[in-house]
Amino acid sequence: MIFAYLDPGSGSLLLQALLGGLAGIAVAFKAWRARISGKGASAAGSTETDALEEQAVSGES
Amino acid sequence: MTSADPGSFRDPASRIVFQDGRIIRLLDPSGLAAWQRLSSSRFHGRAVDEGRLIESSQIEHPPAGAAGAVEHPRLPMITYPFEWTFSMLKDAALLQLDLLADALGEGLTIKDATPYNIQFVAGRPMFIDIGSFQEYREGEPWIGYRQFTRQFLFPLMLRSWAGLRFQPFLRGDPEGPTAAEMRSLLPLWRRITPAGLMHVSLQARLEKKLSGASVRDDLARAGFSAQLILNNVKRLRDLVSSLQWNAGDTEWTGYVACKHVGRDRDEKASFLRQALSRGQVRRVLDLGTNDGYFSEIAHDAGAMAVAVDGDEGTLEESYRRLPGKAISIVLADLSNPSPSQGWAGVERRSLFSRSDPDLVIAYGLIHHLIYTSSIPPAAVVQWLRRFDSRVVLEFVSPDDEMVEVLTANKRVEELHEDRDEQGFRSILVDSFEILSETSLGSGSRVLFELQPR
Repeated sequence: MIFAYLDPGSGSLLLQALLGGLAGIAVAFKAWRARISGKGASAAGSTETDALEEQAVSGES
Repeated sequence: MTSADPGSFRDPASRIVFQDGRIIRLLDPSGLAAWQRLSSSRFHGRAVDEGRLIESSQIEHPPAGAAGAVEHPRLPMITYPFEWTFSMLKDAALLQLDLLADALGEGLTIKDATPYNIQFVAGRPMFIDIGSFQEYREGEPWIGYRQFTRQFLFPLMLRSWAGLRFQPFLRGDPEGPTAAEMRSLLPLWRRITPAGLMHVSLQARLEKKLSGASVRDDLARAGFSAQLILNNVKRLRDLVSSLQWNAGDTEWTGYVACKHVGRDRDEKASFLRQALSRGQVRRVLDLGTNDGYFSEIAHDAGAMAVAVDGDEGTLEESYRRLPGKAISIVLADLSNPSPSQGWAGVERRSLFSRSDPDLVIAYGLIHHLIYTSSIPPAAVVQWLRRFDSRVVLEFVSPDDEMVEVLTANKRVEELHEDRDEQGFRSILVDSFEILSETSLGSGSRVLFELQPR
């Protein structure tokens, strides 16, 4: 995972898939389903990397 | 001597320092790797040749503590997005999108999307932050999308869709309006357009619902690809291109047609040329530039001009008319110019600390400050003195027809002292030596060329 010095906004990231056209809608649906079914990255229990990343991006840009 | 640019610190991989008048970008190991990747791409050479990306030359022996360093050319004048007109922000937005699309074509991405990375050089936008480019990794979404909407798209929508000036929003909060704020600001019929629904309403809802959730991995696993970013960028480009603002007739767009302007213009131009020929004049600050006529004269005499005005409509016309000329257009209310602001109060410098002129033009200006903004004449002269440079000034006496219009609803006791020629001269000579002067044909206006005492 690359370091983001900017907070990209979780909702805005997911929205981008929807804005990517038909193929994107499928991607957004898959990512959303993984999240609500408990298989998403954070829902499945944050890895250490995820926790660090959350910290890194928690400040506003 | 080296000093850090107080506006360049957010990205740990790449930051600007000033070294004996040179502009140096210091890179950490990841910044250096990103620069090497960028500089070896065809995209980089092309964008620099086209004037869309700032030139960079690598420094062989970087300063201690830096993994690498590059030098950039010094720009004539730094301006901020809240000092731009609608078309300037729109052109900057299109440049941001075009560079992202071109970069993605060669496996690179831009990790942020702020207009502070863009400056206007010879009237055209140029991207100045090479530290924003990095290798694109498959599955990564566009990190800068939200920032793009807040700092480019939403401000343009405010003007085009809601009739609101975006500059006070961007000056008040440099992050720009949030999607939730936009939902309150836009009229309903704009919010229910496809673009309004997606970029504004849905973004606001998703931001609220997913606040703090880590979705980057989810998206990568679900098959997110660069093509999805390109699709989004293409649509955003169409959307931004469709946003229009017709300045129409603002307060000052018809100024040049006024009788006194046409009558005095030639005399004012030759008086200015005479001042420009006295000594070396490299930088001219044209306060209350209106249509940019006197900035052009300064430019044609070999100076770099900064054309400041508070009327967006007239500056829009100048922006369209003046590309290719080294004239920086700045939208600012001279009775409330851009302050020093941002982190620690110094991240973004005040307007006049950025301008550093050899000559100030104050034509057709001071009577508006004195009579419209109610600034005392002595305070106006002290303000002009603080530029510590020569000034060409047009004095307008109280019996001038224009002043009569400006004071039509004021009583004499509400007006400041020393507004008549005798009183004004006595203030002037306290701060300046009068190098030359000439009365204009109307008899109610006098031009002065002033040297600070």
